[in-house]
Amino acid sequence: MLPLRELQLRLSAALTAGPMDTGSVADTADPALLALVSHRGALGPAQRLDIYTDMYRTRLVDVLREDFPRVLAILGEEEFRVLACRYLVRHPSTHPSVRYVGRRFADFLAGETGDLPFLGDLARLEWARVEVFDAPDADPLGRLDLESLPASDWPMLRLRPIPACLVVECAWAAHEIWAAAENSVPGCAGAVRPEASTIRVWREGWSVSHAAMGDLERRLFPLLERGEPFARLCAMGEGGLEPEAAAREVGSLLLRWLEDGLLARLPA
Amino acid sequence: MAIAVPYLGHGVGLRPKHYPRLWDGTARADWFEAISENYMVAGGRPRAALERARATAPIVLHGVSLSIGSTDPLDEAYLDALRALIRQVEPAWVSDHLCWSGIGGHYAHDLLPLPYTEEALAHVVRRVVAVQERLGRQILIENVSSYLTYTHSTLAEWEFLGAVAERADCGLLLDVNNVYVSATNHGFATNDYLAGLPADRVGQIHLAGHTDMGTYLFDTHDGPVIEPVWDLYRQALRRFGRVSTLVEWDDHIPELDVVCAEAERARAVEAEVLEGAHAAPA
Repeated sequence: MLPLRELQLRLSAALTAGPMDTGSVADTADPALLALVSHRGALGPAQRLDIYTDMYRTRLVDVLREDFPRVLAILGEEEFRVLACRYLVRHPSTHPSVRYVGRRFADFLAGETGDLPFLGDLARLEWARVEVFDAPDADPLGRLDLESLPASDWPMLRLRPIPACLVVECAWAAHEIWAAAENSVPGCAGAVRPEASTIRVWREGWSVSHAAMGDLERRLFPLLERGEPFARLCAMGEGGLEPEAAAREVGSLLLRWLEDGLLARLPA
Repeated sequence: MAIAVPYLGHGVGLRPKHYPRLWDGTARADWFEAISENYMVAGGRPRAALERARATAPIVLHGVSLSIGSTDPLDEAYLDALRALIRQVEPAWVSDHLCWSGIGGHYAHDLLPLPYTEEALAHVVRRVVAVQERLGRQILIENVSSYLTYTHSTLAEWEFLGAVAERADCGLLLDVNNVYVSATNHGFATNDYLAGLPADRVGQIHLAGHTDMGTYLFDTHDGPVIEPVWDLYRQALRRFGRVSTLVEWDDHIPELDVVCAEAERARAVEAEVLEGAHAAPA
C-alpha cells in the first residue's frame, strides 16, 4: 500500500506528464499505481485512469481555447490542441483557479512556433484581454469632470489610467493579426511582416477593447501611469512641435482617452 | 451536533450565460450557488453579476479548488481569497468537495478521488478542522462522482464521508446525481449510501444530469436530471427531510427558465414526498 502522498504524486504524474496526445495511461503504465486501482466490470485500471487523463486534457485545453480564440483560429483545432497539450506538460497549472492556466502560454508559443513567429505576440494580446476582463473596477473620468476644473489647476492636474488597462509591447502588429484572424482559416496569417507596435488594452463597462498607440500616446502614457502632472505631459508632447501645435495634439489625445473611458475619476 | 444552515428552498447555479437576466431583473430563483473561484477576481462583469444576484436572492459559495484531500499544505493564499470573498458576499454557507485537486504545487483542476483509508480520513479531518478555524465557520463537504476506486480502501465512501462530518464537525452537501453515477461505476447500492450518512449533517442537495458513456456514467452536468436520479432524490428527502436543493447545469447550458423549471420540479418532488402532494409532470 502506498502512503497517500505517494499515491497522489503518482496519479498526478500520470495525469500531467503522461501521454498528452492520444495515448493511454496503459502505454506508460506505472505498475504501482495501476495495482492500486480496482478492476471492475468492463473497465480495467488503465481505462479508469484514462478517463481522468482525458478529462484533464480536455478541460484545460478548453480553457486555453476560450482564452486564446484568435491563436486557435490561426492554428486550427488540431494544431492548437497539440501545442496546448505540450504547453500543459511543460507548464502544469500552479494556481488553484483555472483562470490562470494560460498565463505562460504566450511565452511558450513565442519559443515554439518558428513558422508563425507572431503567435507569441498575438497570445500576449489575448492574455492581456483576459487580464483586463476582471481587473479592478474604477469610475471613469468624464468630460464634465474636467470642464468644471479651474484653469489654474490644470498644470498640476494628475490624471491616471483606470486599473483595467494594460499596455502590450509587440514586435509584430498583433492588433492587425487579431483582427485578421477573426475570420481566419488556419495558416492564412503566414504572410504577416514584423512591425513593432504598442497596444493598449482596456475595459469600458464590461467590454474589453484594444487599440494601437500612436507615437505621442506611446510617449505620454508612461507619464500618465506614473501620475505626472499635466504640465509634464504637455512638455513631453512638444517633441519638436510648436507649443500651440503640441497643446492641440495633447488635447486631442486627452479627448480620446476620455471618450474611451481610459482615465480614472479624480480623487475627491 | 448538526449542521446549522438555513433552508433556502430550490436554487440554481449562477452562470455567465444567465447574467443578462440579472441585468434586466428577470432572474428569479430561491437562491443562487456561485462557484467561489469564478468570483475570486478583482472586478469586472463577474463581480458585478454576483452583486446583482446577491441583491436578488441568497448566495451560497461552492468551491472546486480547496483540495481538502491533498497532501500539499493548505494553500494559504487561496484561503485568504476565499475568506475575503466570504466577507464581501456573506453567503448562507460555503461548500467544497471531498477530493484532492493537486499535488506538488501543481493543480489538475479536477475532483480526484481519495482512497477511503484511516490514513486519508485522519488527514481530511485535520484539514477540514483547519479550514473551518481559518474561515470561522462550518463548511459543507460534497461527495464527488468518481471513475475509479482504490484496492486498499477499507471504508465505504459513505462511511468515510460520514466520519469526516462527525469528526471534523462539518456539514455534508449530498450530490444525489454523484451517488447515482458512482454507484453505477463502482457497483454499490444507493440505498446503502443514503442510509449510511448521518442525517443531521446533510445541509444541501445537488441534482444534475449526466451522460451514459456505455461502459460508465460520466458526470457532465449537461442535461436534465434523469428519472432514476429523481427517484433517488425522493429517497433522500424521505431520509433527510427538507434540505435546500440546487440544480447544477454546467455544459450546454440552456436558458435560465429551463434550469429554473428543473428547480421547480425539485420543489414539486419535495412537496410530493414531504407533504403528500402530487409532483408536476416532467
